Amino acid sequence: MTVVPQGQEAIARGGGASSGNLYDILDLILDRGLVIDVFARVSLVGIELVKVDARVVVASVDTYLRFAEACNRLDLEAGNKKPQELTDLVGEVTEGGSHGKAKGALTGAAEAVTDALKGKRGDEEADEEAEEEAEEEETAGQRKRPARRAAQHRKE
Amino acid sequence: MAVYVYSITASTHPRRLDGVDGVGDPPASLRTVKAGELSAIVSDAPEELRAKRRDLAAHQAVQERLMADGTVLPLQFGFTADDDDAVRGVLEERAEEFTERLQALADCVEYHLKAAQDEDALLRQILAESEEARGLNEQITGGRGGPDLPLALGELVAQEVQARQDRLAASLLDALQGLAREDVVSQPTGNDFLNVSFLVEHDQEESFRTAEKDLADKLGGDFDLRLRGPLPPYSFV
Repeated sequence: MTVVPQGQEAIARGGGASSGNLYDILDLILDRGLVIDVFARVSLVGIELVKVDARVVVASVDTYLRFAEACNRLDLEAGNKKPQELTDLVGEVTEGGSHGKAKGALTGAAEAVTDALKGKRGDEEADEEAEEEAEEEETAGQRKRPARRAAQHRKE
Repeated sequence: MAVYVYSITASTHPRRLDGVDGVGDPPASLRTVKAGELSAIVSDAPEELRAKRRDLAAHQAVQERLMADGTVLPLQFGFTADDDDAVRGVLEERAEEFTERLQALADCVEYHLKAAQDEDALLRQILAESEEARGLNEQITGGRGGPDLPLALGELVAQEVQARQDRLAASLLDALQGLAREDVVSQPTGNDFLNVSFLVEHDQEESFRTAEKDLADKLGGDFDLRLRGPLPPYSFV
């Protein structure tokens, strides 16, 4: 979850589309619109990654474990929604999970939850970060973005 | 030199583009390639064009400026022709089709809506309403039961999440479809449960926006409805 806000200012000045709005219409700009197949098209190798994230709800063992973990955590926290305390709890869960048989999956699930929480706290920057990935093909953080996207709130 | 193509308009469109830059760094200047009734907005293509945010924003900014003055057919990001003549050739060859689309889309804009729901809130709701899920959860957190329980709970919860979000998506669509001329639903990504574009006539825009706002208010703070627009009709060209 490194945040390297390079070039943000240039973008903010550069176009009519404010960068916060741009993220939500990336799929339109890249995937819709008129196609003229006798023209050449730039390679979108890197950017494909951005728009093909699977939906969070998919039938898989990882998804099931992640949901179960999230439910267990809700029960533990008993309605306390303070992010700081939540993060502490998740830390404990991660530790506990790592000792179990299903080490890999559990750890992964806890990491996903941790990411979701971090994303929530950083929601001011979520749009910027996510877009940054659109132009950094090599970034390793692609997979974490779905969790982070949950953190985007209505800002009108 | 290769030519980057942004969009197609009628030649009667004023194409006021002063102050708007093209793609590339430094940004290319915009110009028009005209062929009879149709015109394409183009610029020289940068040597190495990639889908950088700056360039995506430039592509979008050109469309936004143009749509302020008339109907526009936005190209997908990233198309380049060999030269102006190649652009002119396409305008002539597909003149009938482009003219038809321009007419069909006159007086319309696109609105794009993505919706997500706070996961914790949804899970709380499911635990409150499903006795079975609650029972499994209590067994797990109480340290009882076998190693299969988390998987069973997770599967049950995933099904509930899916079913509830499908219902929500359907009800949101239902509430807004009547105010749009067309809509295109696509697979939501990430945490979203809805991803839909609407083609809205100008004189319906206000009602449409109000309806969306009402929905957002009704759903409350656990929901994140992101309405974007008015946009050029990317999904309806």
